[in-house]
Amino acid sequence: MPALAHIAEPRRTTRRRSLARRTADAVGHAVTEVLDNDEIASRPGLMQKLDARVKLATILLFAVAASFAHSLWVLLGFVALASGLAAASRLSVVSFSRKVWASAGFFALLLSLPAATAWITPGEVLVAFGPLSITKPGLYIAVRLVARVAAGAGIGLLVVWTTRWTDLLHALTALHVPDLVVATLAMTQKQIVTLLRTVENTHLARESRMLTAGSAAENRGWVTERMAFVARKSMKTADDVYDAMLARGYAGAMPSLVRLRTTTRDWAWLVASTLTCAALLGADKVVFSR
Amino acid sequence: MTATPEYVLAGVRHEYRSGSAALAGIDLTIESGEHVVIAGANGSGKSTLLKMLDGLVFPSAGTITAFGRTLTEDALEEPAFRREFRSRVGFVFQDADVQLFCNTAFDELAFGPLQLGLAEQAVRERIASVAEQLRITPILDRAPYTLSGGEKKRVAIASVLTMQPHVLLLDEPTNALDPRSQVWLLDVLSEWKQAGNTVVIATHDLSIAAESADRMIVLSEEHGVCADGTPGDVLSQRDLLLSVNLIHEHAHRHGGAAHEHPHGHGELHTHA
Repeated sequence: MPALAHIAEPRRTTRRRSLARRTADAVGHAVTEVLDNDEIASRPGLMQKLDARVKLATILLFAVAASFAHSLWVLLGFVALASGLAAASRLSVVSFSRKVWASAGFFALLLSLPAATAWITPGEVLVAFGPLSITKPGLYIAVRLVARVAAGAGIGLLVVWTTRWTDLLHALTALHVPDLVVATLAMTQKQIVTLLRTVENTHLARESRMLTAGSAAENRGWVTERMAFVARKSMKTADDVYDAMLARGYAGAMPSLVRLRTTTRDWAWLVASTLTCAALLGADKVVFSR
Repeated sequence: MTATPEYVLAGVRHEYRSGSAALAGIDLTIESGEHVVIAGANGSGKSTLLKMLDGLVFPSAGTITAFGRTLTEDALEEPAFRREFRSRVGFVFQDADVQLFCNTAFDELAFGPLQLGLAEQAVRERIASVAEQLRITPILDRAPYTLSGGEKKRVAIASVLTMQPHVLLLDEPTNALDPRSQVWLLDVLSEWKQAGNTVVIATHDLSIAAESADRMIVLSEEHGVCADGTPGDVLSQRDLLLSVNLIHEHAHRHGGAAHEHPHGHGELHTHA
């Protein structure tokens, strides 16, 4: 093999990474996030010590309470409470807040923006962009909706992050969610990881054989074709998994040996959560009635 | 051994939806306690044959008799027969990712025995015993998708062994296993056979046949049986193995001398 030393070193430039590399990195990051969840759920934090069923009940409690709250400040109080619990559960508050506001908050903002305009909510105009005016009452409604979604998403994210996926599924079974739904959720999680790995490797394999980045149209075509491939593979895998279930005697039911047990801590948590929600709703009533 | 053969296949044919044959005219008898290797090149129909023996795929023509009863979809719809058949036959799939569909490795091991209706204590005892035997006790509480390839394979095999089947079907069991795990697997299969159980392995790894089987069946690229005998007899038929694409002519050098001889997958050889 001849040495490659005669090939000149490339000039250092801030080159844009290829689509394949960016996609592979993003997919790899997604897989890592899924796999990291069990590590986060195993930390010795406040929420991690609670029974998964109690945590699911907590989501329900907070979601209902947040939906009854009218005051923006009280809704923000729910968000702050979720952030405080995240800190007590040894989670990064920055990552937690970024997830809550950047995902749930952003999409809620998109959905609520029309309500901020004079077309939907007339009132005192705060700012105008040509024919588009944002009104004071409209903006208040939009921000309140975003805060409400962020409050619900915050507590939901907290429970998902602090509970091992397997415990969550066992909790759903214990709460009499149908076996078929729980089994579907379990397999969905597994399928997502398996297919993400396939997508990551496919992109890396392509990049390793490409000499140029390819045109945008070529890349789009290739990505579309790969999506179809993954969809076909997913369906084939689903058939194979069903065969594997039949082979081990599956006849429609998914019995489990896992027996969840609540402790005094869980009951204390449930009482404290209920009192906190009641206090926040009480404050909401006082603030809103002024 | 019982007098009735475990399986009798008569004129079995299977076609894909496209109409092309996956299996063509298979006549076969598998006795209780046999350790059979079904060898063949990729696409020869090994996996389809194994799925037929497990009642997951059914013949387009011909019949399969399992434990003295004709194996059909209708027969497996009967709860009593299905339970009896599933408790007797275990199938380890080629792709462990397909086989592991429960929340944790522990749940995987519990799935089969619970489907068979065993009591909780009996299921726990089986899990503890098999996990110890396969050295997977420390990973029982982990989700299958977080395991390495070798660990997944162990859990997949364990998930079948907890059902204590009399017939163990394995599709390409050494795929994704490192050399030490392959040796371990052969030891497990040897123990399983010594207990009087039947083992049927589909593979193109000839070393498995040479090291562990007492019967070797070869499927041709035309999807029929072209050899059936002891591994020693079949593996000595070089022209046959070349014609079914299980070995290939290979030329290489040792020291200064170049020479040619056939190679098979996983086949260990020495040179004088």
